[in-house]
Amino acid sequence: MEEEEIYEHEVIVVGGGLSGLRAALAAGKKGADVAVLSKVHPLRSHSVAAQGGINASLGNVLEAENDSWEDHAFDTVKGSDYLADQNAVEVMCKEAPDVVLELEHMGTVFSRLEDGKIAQRPFGGAGVPRTCYAADRTGHNLLNTLFEQTVAESLDFYNEYFVTSLVTRNQEIQGLIAWDIENGKLVGFSSDVVVLATGGYGRIYNRSTNALINTGDGALLAYEAGVPLEDMEFIQFHPTTLYGSNILITEGARGEGGHLKNKEGERFMKDYAPEAMELAPRDIVARAIITEAEEGRAFEDEYIHLDLRHLGKEKIDERLPGIRQIARDFAGVDPVEEPIPVQPGQHYSMGGIDVDIDGKTEIDGLYAVGECACVSVHGANRLGGNSLLETVVFGRRAGKEIGETLKKKEKDKEEIKKALEIDKEEINRLLHEEGDVLYSELMDELREVMFEHFGVYREEESMKKGLSKIKELKEKYDSVHIDNQNENFNTALIRTLELKSMVNIAEVVAMGSIERKESRGSHFRRDYTERRDEEYLYHTKVEKTEGGPKLRYEDVTLGQFKVKEREY
Amino acid sequence: MEFKIYRYDGEEESYDTYKVPPEEGQTVLDALFHIQENIDDSLSFRYSCRGAVCGSCAMLIDKVPRLACRTQTKRVKEQKREIEHYKALDEGEELSEDHILVEPLPHLEVKKDLIVDMEKFYENYERIEPYLKPDEKPEKEHLMDQEKVSELEDYTNCILCAACFGGCPVNGENEKYLGPAALAKLYRFHIDPRDDDDRLTLADHEDGWWACDFYTNCRKVCPKDVPPNFGIGKARQELEEEDD
Repeated sequence: MEEEEIYEHEVIVVGGGLSGLRAALAAGKKGADVAVLSKVHPLRSHSVAAQGGINASLGNVLEAENDSWEDHAFDTVKGSDYLADQNAVEVMCKEAPDVVLELEHMGTVFSRLEDGKIAQRPFGGAGVPRTCYAADRTGHNLLNTLFEQTVAESLDFYNEYFVTSLVTRNQEIQGLIAWDIENGKLVGFSSDVVVLATGGYGRIYNRSTNALINTGDGALLAYEAGVPLEDMEFIQFHPTTLYGSNILITEGARGEGGHLKNKEGERFMKDYAPEAMELAPRDIVARAIITEAEEGRAFEDEYIHLDLRHLGKEKIDERLPGIRQIARDFAGVDPVEEPIPVQPGQHYSMGGIDVDIDGKTEIDGLYAVGECACVSVHGANRLGGNSLLETVVFGRRAGKEIGETLKKKEKDKEEIKKALEIDKEEINRLLHEEGDVLYSELMDELREVMFEHFGVYREEESMKKGLSKIKELKEKYDSVHIDNQNENFNTALIRTLELKSMVNIAEVVAMGSIERKESRGSHFRRDYTERRDEEYLYHTKVEKTEGGPKLRYEDVTLGQFKVKEREY
Repeated sequence: MEFKIYRYDGEEESYDTYKVPPEEGQTVLDALFHIQENIDDSLSFRYSCRGAVCGSCAMLIDKVPRLACRTQTKRVKEQKREIEHYKALDEGEELSEDHILVEPLPHLEVKKDLIVDMEKFYENYERIEPYLKPDEKPEKEHLMDQEKVSELEDYTNCILCAACFGGCPVNGENEKYLGPAALAKLYRFHIDPRDDDDRLTLADHEDGWWACDFYTNCRKVCPKDVPPNFGIGKARQELEEEDD
């Protein structure tokens, strides 16, 4: 092993989406030597696809002039079905106005109100219009702004590197091992701090709005290093994804006044959430659509209509131009003329790596931020507009904390060399050993299992079947085979490595879902349709042990908002 | 449908032909995945969002730079966009009604198959100092008219996919030309009322604003309808007026 194959940085951020870049910038500002490492160029991260907006109680709109962080926090906690940790929610909602203004100062071009202030639109589960937006391309605009800042700060990047393992010693981070996708070789990274900012695990489902790269890699890295995964059974299904490709159709479309209609032309939300109608939280609207389909009121039993026609061309072009383009490009439908065919699809991973409000994990020097982490601010159901907010609030907090507390650790490169050898063997096995299972078939199968058995509606028997299928798939992974033996730009190899994250994460999701015998937020069980606070107002934590995943429950941090029935 | 795909493994160039069964709504990216997963897993290409927002998969499809994920296979032949012909299009394989031709973006070095080295493209982006340099930081947000926002959006919508770079004849002739995307980005900061820097002079040279020959391919191939040619024209006009 040659020395030059081990790179050194004080801080390595894995993932170049919003949370990763925000953390890197904050740590860099404090003088830390930071490098961002990502399996894709940062601008290709999934943050870029976020459409609707970012919540902050700026109170810019007249009807929201008395808005406050407390109201934002209340909506968030209620939306979470009381599973969010209220101390974390408080931090997020308090810091929201500041991070949004900071992004504006950095250059984000937000949409404006007539008086020139940042525009805010109504979003599901929110009492007042609180969601700041840049048309329906908010994620794209924010990610470009933060990336621009990294250019200004000259941060280091390792693009197209896939992390294969974290290196720890005595519960302390030492660095990581990564596969250089372009050059087809493993390299070691020695660092004092590693920040995981790798996004969600949505692609374990076959109907997902997520980018194809969202395969839960960071969650698996932390899990394998011994950090518990929290509340993984809470998967958000977005009510309106484009029928066919499941590309996201923002909640902003309903925020701007769009109607959901079944095949009888009825605004069926009146039967599910008579007050909030289309702007009920996502879990409720998604279940309503599935129920409509099951009861024969969906088109082709598969989709319903999102009707924007009454908004008129001018409003659609100003507020929802991206949606119009997506509907035309991917469904051949112009929303100005016709309703958009939509169905629920996996959208967000509420669960993730167990961290505190500064992004710290149990391992010294290992942090996690953004969708891959579980702080927890979303509990059992995330409100629209809170995910972008989480990325920048907790990215910034973690980065600051790292910058302020950074201490040189005694590092042992031997550990990294050892880990390199182990990963080399694994890659060699994948590339050169004969197997009889195609990775793509395994992947497809897994995704079907997840949607069928751990979808919008769940129940014991089906989930148990699902779990045993996942375990079979996990075993089959050991015989996975790829033909392509080239090392450089081997897409099949990357997909196969991602598959490893996917099957392992799927198992944890399945376990948490089976054990939680209640309905709360996105986790809805037909065999236990009520929320059961006494038994389950707890966070699920799953840890890796010799004998397989081990589950325990831990207290939720409650606070000023009393646990109540959740009605809209 | 048959796909004829450019292959390069670091040593040899070739074209491979694959048959992909048609499917409702199938995009060129779907077809590439079908090939990669079922026929030949050595095929390399970049991808991420599959929804035309991340800019990973710009490539030459039937000699037009486009996003593979946004291009429906059944519409490739009918959606022939008329772009100004340029040298790079005469290289490689010829067009045919029998197959969809997929090649890497021109003007950037090919690393493997459909993957190009984007370094030059990003370097040009960095050269224009693509970050806001505000003159003041108000306590709250800068106030801005929605009209101004709309004008800015024409340029901030750029996803840096480099389709324009690969579609610009000038980029094929002049290696130093900043290219449409970088200039559009520079113009975006120029018209941003919050920015206090003299942006126009940064590209006031023969490889900047003045290199453009207004072929307007950039505008025609942009998946986000960004009009670099328009920004470049305005910038030149302003510079000329300054000189007067």
